[in-house]
Amino acid sequence: MRTCLRTSPAIALAAVAVLSAAGLTGCSTAEAPQQAAHAQDIRRGPDGKPDFSGVWAGPGFRHTGKDTDNATVRLYTDAKMSAFTPEGRSLFLRPHTGNVRLDDPTAVCLPNGLTRQIPSPYAQQFIQTANQLVILYEYMHFFRVIPFGAPNRAHAADIEPTYMGDSIAWWDGDTLVIDTVSLNEWMLDAYHPDDGGSRWHSDRAHVVERIKYTDRANASYDVTIDDPAIFTAPWVENWSMQMKPTWKIFEFVCDDNDRCRGGNCTASDAQKTSTQ
Amino acid sequence: MSPARMKMTGAVSAVLVALVTGPHLLAHHSFATEYDRNKPVSVTGVVKKVEWRNPHIWFYVDVKDERGKVVTWGFSGGPPAFLMRQGIRQDVMKIGDVVKVEGFRARDGSNNASGGRVTFPDGRSVFTASAEDARPD
Repeated sequence: MRTCLRTSPAIALAAVAVLSAAGLTGCSTAEAPQQAAHAQDIRRGPDGKPDFSGVWAGPGFRHTGKDTDNATVRLYTDAKMSAFTPEGRSLFLRPHTGNVRLDDPTAVCLPNGLTRQIPSPYAQQFIQTANQLVILYEYMHFFRVIPFGAPNRAHAADIEPTYMGDSIAWWDGDTLVIDTVSLNEWMLDAYHPDDGGSRWHSDRAHVVERIKYTDRANASYDVTIDDPAIFTAPWVENWSMQMKPTWKIFEFVCDDNDRCRGGNCTASDAQKTSTQ
Repeated sequence: MSPARMKMTGAVSAVLVALVTGPHLLAHHSFATEYDRNKPVSVTGVVKKVEWRNPHIWFYVDVKDERGKVVTWGFSGGPPAFLMRQGIRQDVMKIGDVVKVEGFRARDGSNNASGGRVTFPDGRSVFTASAEDARPD
């Protein structure tokens, strides 16, 4: 566990993320890919901002630099998390119950939610205009429409909690900042029953993604988690993503042939003519 | 199985390397909710059908039991998108191929399992399991 600072959520998150990116706080890590790209080397849109449009292998891959990348389930790192609040541990780690809807809701085709979708081991496509960023996630066909605007502006007042939350974005130099609130209480990541249970965030979670090119094909992807119900301070996960010009996102239909849902299998036509 | 089919081409070799060196973890279903890592299964039979569909591929293998009765086992594999990005196409395993499949049985006790390793008569051995699934020793 590690401790970062928390003042007001917006200021603290911005400060933690900025200082972390600069390697100036205890929340940064030596292995984080924080090399800045030469400003003239990265793709830019007509407005001069870095252009992240394209298909990316996100943090859910071990990046090889090749067309064939290695998908992996990437979990948030225990050592980077801040200390728990008094109630935090019980809210965070949920013991295995035997109820699949609690142990891993994706096993019954419920959504990943934002914090698990970010490191999903499936492709994601960014479509960027001057006014907004659209992210298409291959896994379960989720999408985000994220408007650009003034830094640290307020979210709309009438938003309802959802699995992906309410996201707004702005530019901090060449860094794309995506600020998300109004998330359902949901799984943090793909921690499994075999690991001892599942890991969750609360409905007070505030997530800030900071994406910055480190060269023409790679970007650092820092995720700051501020969840005052569970953690005593915000903390930062340092990931990366890699552009894949030859990839496209494939169709993914969770209900199509999910034959052993919840541990109860249905026989395929191929099996109905044989002894079962 | 014909000798021609048994002959491993360079392309297939690359596919097999990709399968063997694939990731340990991959998401959709939670392995533990559907399969029992304490119930390994190993069968040898003939590929009857391959379903290259989401969220995970399935393939079916006709297996003769001790009395000569044919039982069709179903094995779950990786998601099509993951396999395709590894250069693996649905014809990697053809109807009529003789295969040995090792995996872990479904929790409901049916003849379904997570298909961890597929071995062909010529010794080729491939992992077809979803990467979050347990793999045979």
